[in-house]
Amino acid sequence: MHTTETWIFRILVLGFVAAFAAQVWTRAQLVLRARNNIRIGDDETGRRLLRFVTEVIFQSRTIGERPLVGLAHLGVYWGFVAFGVYTAVEFLAGLGIADFTGSRWFEVYAILLVPCSIAVMVGILGLIVRRVLVRPPALGESVSAESVLIGFFILTLMVTFLLDFRLADGVAGRVNWWVHALVILSFMVLIPGSKHFHLVLSPLTVYLRSPGLGRVPNLDFDKEEVGLETLKDVERKQVLDAFTCVECGRCQVNCPAHATGKALNPKALILQHEDALLAGNLDTTLADIFDPGVLWQCTTCGACEAQCPVGVEHLPLIVGARRGLVSNGDAPDSLAAVYNHLERRGNIWGLGADLRQKFVQAAGVELFDAGRHKYLVWLGCAGAFEADFQKSLRSLFDILRACGVTFGVLPKERCTGDVAKRSGNEYQFQELARANIADFTAAGVTRILTSCPHCLRTLGVDYRDFGFEAEVVHSSVLVAAITRNVTAPGAEPVTLHDPCYLGRYAAVTDEPRELLARFGAAVREPERHGTNPFCCGAGGGLLFEERESGKRISQERLEQLQRTGAGTVVTACPFCSIMLKGAQASANTQVQFVDLMSYVDGRMKSAARAAAPGP
Amino acid sequence: MMLVIAEQQGGTLNRASWETVAAAQQAGGPVKVAVLGAGADLPAAELAGADVAEVLLVQAPPIESYTLDGYVAALVQLVAAEHPDDVFLPHTYQTRDFAPALAVRLGRALVTDCVGTKRTDTGLLFVRPVFQGRLLADVAPAGPALVTFQIGAVRADSVTRGTAPAAIRTVAATVDAAAIRQKPEAPFREAKQAVDLAQAERIVAVGRGIKEQQKIALVQQLAAAIGAEVGASRPICDAGWLPMDRQIGSSGQTVAPKLYLALGVSGAIQHLVGMKGSRTIVAINKDPEAPIFEIADYGIVGDLFEIVPALIKELQG
Repeated sequence: MHTTETWIFRILVLGFVAAFAAQVWTRAQLVLRARNNIRIGDDETGRRLLRFVTEVIFQSRTIGERPLVGLAHLGVYWGFVAFGVYTAVEFLAGLGIADFTGSRWFEVYAILLVPCSIAVMVGILGLIVRRVLVRPPALGESVSAESVLIGFFILTLMVTFLLDFRLADGVAGRVNWWVHALVILSFMVLIPGSKHFHLVLSPLTVYLRSPGLGRVPNLDFDKEEVGLETLKDVERKQVLDAFTCVECGRCQVNCPAHATGKALNPKALILQHEDALLAGNLDTTLADIFDPGVLWQCTTCGACEAQCPVGVEHLPLIVGARRGLVSNGDAPDSLAAVYNHLERRGNIWGLGADLRQKFVQAAGVELFDAGRHKYLVWLGCAGAFEADFQKSLRSLFDILRACGVTFGVLPKERCTGDVAKRSGNEYQFQELARANIADFTAAGVTRILTSCPHCLRTLGVDYRDFGFEAEVVHSSVLVAAITRNVTAPGAEPVTLHDPCYLGRYAAVTDEPRELLARFGAAVREPERHGTNPFCCGAGGGLLFEERESGKRISQERLEQLQRTGAGTVVTACPFCSIMLKGAQASANTQVQFVDLMSYVDGRMKSAARAAAPGP
Repeated sequence: MMLVIAEQQGGTLNRASWETVAAAQQAGGPVKVAVLGAGADLPAAELAGADVAEVLLVQAPPIESYTLDGYVAALVQLVAAEHPDDVFLPHTYQTRDFAPALAVRLGRALVTDCVGTKRTDTGLLFVRPVFQGRLLADVAPAGPALVTFQIGAVRADSVTRGTAPAAIRTVAATVDAAAIRQKPEAPFREAKQAVDLAQAERIVAVGRGIKEQQKIALVQQLAAAIGAEVGASRPICDAGWLPMDRQIGSSGQTVAPKLYLALGVSGAIQHLVGMKGSRTIVAINKDPEAPIFEIADYGIVGDLFEIVPALIKELQG
């Protein structure tokens, strides 16, 4: 290569690299100054590496929800990786450092790249058509000119690569080489300021994402932590997330608040966070950078986080910001009343302990004795006070008795702190958690059985942070195991509503279906089921906010459930049941709601009656 | 001598002041009442009707309207001049604002939220609830104290009236306007709800069991017959059969009437939490399994369209 050309290229590369580095530096400073909240447990490395392989290398999440688009993206991604060495070799030659372009292996490599380049072209053409012509709402209202430009950049790279085989080393060949090189350099400069920064950051954020869904670590009050008040308080992983977001809108599409016309849009939330960080004033309060009220519209259903292909965690940001508001006394009125109830009566409804006592006596349940009972049955607030859920618990008791499983209850319970935790009242959560753990320890509890998925999550996951290690199991899992040999005939069409805290959070989806199938139900799946259900609207403290903006989430879910045509809807969560029954009462429709335990118990009893010898 | 600091605003005496006067009278010994601020002469004349030694009308231009610094400055002078034994105050928002500062300036103990007094051989004890009202503590402060009384703890009508009006003495206080740090704004008024069910003594609540909008009239008739307000559960307000401000429950109003008559209300927990404090709950529902019966004092399992007209007839007849 001519030396003047080499020098021009060297200067250009230097300039472009400087422009790239300057942008990266701005962002790196914001990441590095944030408090480090990234904790990788000793036993987690294996799981994280496995996740890296499936989600980064094989793009399981990208393909999972949008198979065609995901495959197109996979083609572009692998093509890019394959081209890495090619680009490096061409740049080394162009810079006059080392020239391998004439070597035998490079020629073979280049020929092997031809099918890759075709895969990339097909993929990117598909993606451009989708973005410009199909225009799915998840990608935003207007076509992003930058995305289209990058698309054409990638096309140009592939075309110039292929042309290189046809063109001789003359002027045409050099022009082709320069076009290819300049497009790569321009692309590089566009990366940090655009969604394409995910090329650099997403492998990192996927690896760093918490092992479990919706993990919001406890605040340390000894260090005077009060949650996220201003941008200064936002922690490192959430700052990384803001720059990583690829704007695909999977979170937006899956968000129940967004789907029912509320202002909350998880994608907008992350992008507003990014804009605010780059604007530079870190004293801005979080509540001010988001649309008003959106922080209180999140049900913490976790659909956004669970779907995100680049490892963004929305819940630590939302719950963190709620903590900041709560610690300044800015909780909504509906929650202020709940906090009061928790403070005074230890339950979310502020009802008297005598009602729970009445139920425990009427149901004939013994007080837990570690020597005689295998399980402590945790009633939860709903078990103590909500009449329908109490019926379901009576069913659970009967099933346990029928199967010879011993159990007892505590003389007194207080709320696990689920609502307090999810809505940002961390202090109250920790007080409740510590008091409950002290009770469990005093009673010698090692196995807890609960029918409430929110209690399951709080006792079984959140309490681990306090060193609580009892086994916590949901009734559907235990009952599926202990009734393995029992069946009942029938094929009644039944719709199963997966609770978010059971299906998505705990990944318990098989046991409820297995139970239903075994006890004579033909399960009809509604849209959004299994590990990606549509929320009932109750989570995150929104059980107490019945005056939602837009359509009620519970109403939307009820309609989805009704569309299966089955007259019976089976639920496995007291909150879901309260919300859906509320929606049904308002809609005046005729769907029968049954808790899973009542369903199983009813079928078991009628099967037993049928099997019994006649009088 | 006990000194009562009465509270007034714009010439209207806060009723809790009477309760505090009563508490001071019951504690024994002579009582003086002080009242501050613009327009205080009317309340002063009113208070002079009680059996008290004297009413002190404390005046200074900077304390025409309430500020923490202004009141503390004036009251420090008043206490220095009168040297009362204990100072009694109603436990109002205003008292909560200035009493801690006043206690510190006077070097006196502050006993808050008392519900009564006890006279013993060793002296006067103040009774106040502790542990969220589960226990009552008798507090014996070392030396003269500032004592605030929970509103409603002492009956206002137990004040002993004087045979002749007590003397009213105007006391001029010296308050430096420049030393007042607070700049009060116009008082904030919350928009009043059109219907304040919380104040109702009787409520007839209607639920989904009413089935049709036209039938609401039946409920209104019954309400009129017993002098009750009409309330509703969520589905009724969602359907627009009654306005939102009639909704009772976790997202509506919280009520505690003497009588709560629930017609066709199933008793979903979100509704129960809004009316659980009612003194007597009567439920009429077709479904014997309805959760409302769990907390009802009287329950009728039956058709409200038969029972309600019969009730109305009985009440009107």
